[in-house]
Amino acid sequence: MTEAIDESVNFAGIVLRNPVLTASGTFGYGTEFAPFLDLEKIGGFVAKSLTLEPRFGNPPPRIAETPAGMLNAISIENVGVRAFLEEKLPALPDGVVVIASAFGTEPSVYAELAARVSEHPRISGIEINASCPHVKAGGIEFGQDPKLLGELVREVRRATTRPLLVKLSPNVTHIADMARVCEAEGADGISLINAVQAMEVDVETRRPVLSNILGGLSGPAIRPIALRMVWQVAQAVEIPICGVGGIMNAEDAIKFMLCGATAVQVGTANYLDPSSAQRIAVGISEYARSHGFKRVADLTGALETPRE
Amino acid sequence: MSDATTKSASATSIENKADPIRGHARVVSNEEEGPGRRLRLAVPDWPGSIPGQFVMIGAGAEAGVPRRDPLLPRPMAIYRELGSSGVRASAEGEIELLYRVVGRGTQLLSEAREGESIKVVGPLGRGFPLDRPAVASVDESGSKAILVGGGTGIASLYELARALISRGRSVVVILGGRSAGDLMGQREFEALDVQLICTTEDGSDGVHGLVTTPLADGLTSGERGATVYAVGPTPMMKACAALAATNSVDCYVSLENPMACGFGVCLGCAAPRAEGGFFLVCRAGPVFLAREIDWEGLP
Repeated sequence: MTEAIDESVNFAGIVLRNPVLTASGTFGYGTEFAPFLDLEKIGGFVAKSLTLEPRFGNPPPRIAETPAGMLNAISIENVGVRAFLEEKLPALPDGVVVIASAFGTEPSVYAELAARVSEHPRISGIEINASCPHVKAGGIEFGQDPKLLGELVREVRRATTRPLLVKLSPNVTHIADMARVCEAEGADGISLINAVQAMEVDVETRRPVLSNILGGLSGPAIRPIALRMVWQVAQAVEIPICGVGGIMNAEDAIKFMLCGATAVQVGTANYLDPSSAQRIAVGISEYARSHGFKRVADLTGALETPRE
Repeated sequence: MSDATTKSASATSIENKADPIRGHARVVSNEEEGPGRRLRLAVPDWPGSIPGQFVMIGAGAEAGVPRRDPLLPRPMAIYRELGSSGVRASAEGEIELLYRVVGRGTQLLSEAREGESIKVVGPLGRGFPLDRPAVASVDESGSKAILVGGGTGIASLYELARALISRGRSVVVILGGRSAGDLMGQREFEALDVQLICTTEDGSDGVHGLVTTPLADGLTSGERGATVYAVGPTPMMKACAALAATNSVDCYVSLENPMACGFGVCLGCAAPRAEGGFFLVCRAGPVFLAREIDWEGLP
């Protein structure tokens, strides 16, 4: 007889039934996945990044396959905050944990978005997208400058009392410095990493494969980079971390938890197999049980490192 | 839907009420077919598709460990649907796909052996409308449907032809290739109650020239209420759409854009709308009325 294991985690004040979230921009508004998994059996999901008004993305080609990964340059195409709150949220089953993602070109825009989604009882937390690698203004500008990032987090912090997460860009030299700034300005948690800025070229046409020239690299290709950054940030801050980057299965997710992540986000894997997040949640639990952990939460930071 | 892209989902293509499945299909056969291959899959819990829908299929067989490289599944039209009840929820349906080896993913797919397992998600997308166009005083059963296929585009047309025949439509099928060796699926189309015209650019089989030659003949024969369904390379679909427009008949096309998911979340498969903005090919299409598309904006 196998003993029941506690799968729940408390991530930045958000109680999750298990540590598996899905990453913003890879999970639509949730209902798209209803045929493929039980939305109430994953920890929750981070919805597509919102802007104040609906927004169209880039012209095609928007995506391209690369070795063990993919490039995308969608550019925050979304329905806008109003349609999200009035149409998308009510369409979800009651038990689904929803984290809203905010995107803007000015701190005041992020703050307004945070204030508006905070009024809705279905929103469990807010993730600041300070890291979109393929929008010409906003996003990554904040994620690459500690001073701008600090101002952004400060202004959004004033606008909401809900759990506040910041999604960091990997396109920086010292990721730990960026995390420290977020912690100092009152963020409740940190998600990392967003996609790695990248490009690809077609030698026959002598053109970039993406219309935007630059895109964001995701998938297994970036997982070791993400793992390294999660490890570094875990050494630098006290606030909890959500590990993101190329997680394809439970083993990948467990690596992030061992390196210090309290929760994880599954992204590109949702495209390959839309039931991925649920399978990963089950796999983490099985691992914890078979390795003698009483709680899944005890995996966080359980990495054994050689002594100096 | 109020998504920026899908707000104006093609008003004309048809939704399948059945939910798609995700699972592992068993390879029944994977054999040469003309210049490409014919892959037959047994799919557990297959809900049945409607003509024009597609599946996302893994880049080759998998034994336990999911493939990391190439990473993404490929969208492929459902060529034939065999032996699916479409009624019993637990039915194992058999479907056939036609493909050509064009890269590493399709190379790996071509190496899949009988009995091996391939990841499948589907059926996805919106299918072809089957009813006659809204032209007053046209006798529905008499109105002609002209199906034009180029390359693997013909894979989208076989079940469409069968569905139109069963509705009493008079069906003409025009299949085109560069040479006789390029044509796929000829024997199945020959077995249908259709007028079949093959064209080759080098004249090695059928009519010498492009598919637009017999299409122009068919459209100028004075019939009202004909409908054109064209699936193939973009220049072919564009040319068919132009001919249809000149003759004031509707032309449906099926677009084939790169996509990572197939069900509306990666947002990678955007196609420019004639009215501005974008369609998601996977959700609003892949079937569209040709005039809904901004053809100049397609890559």
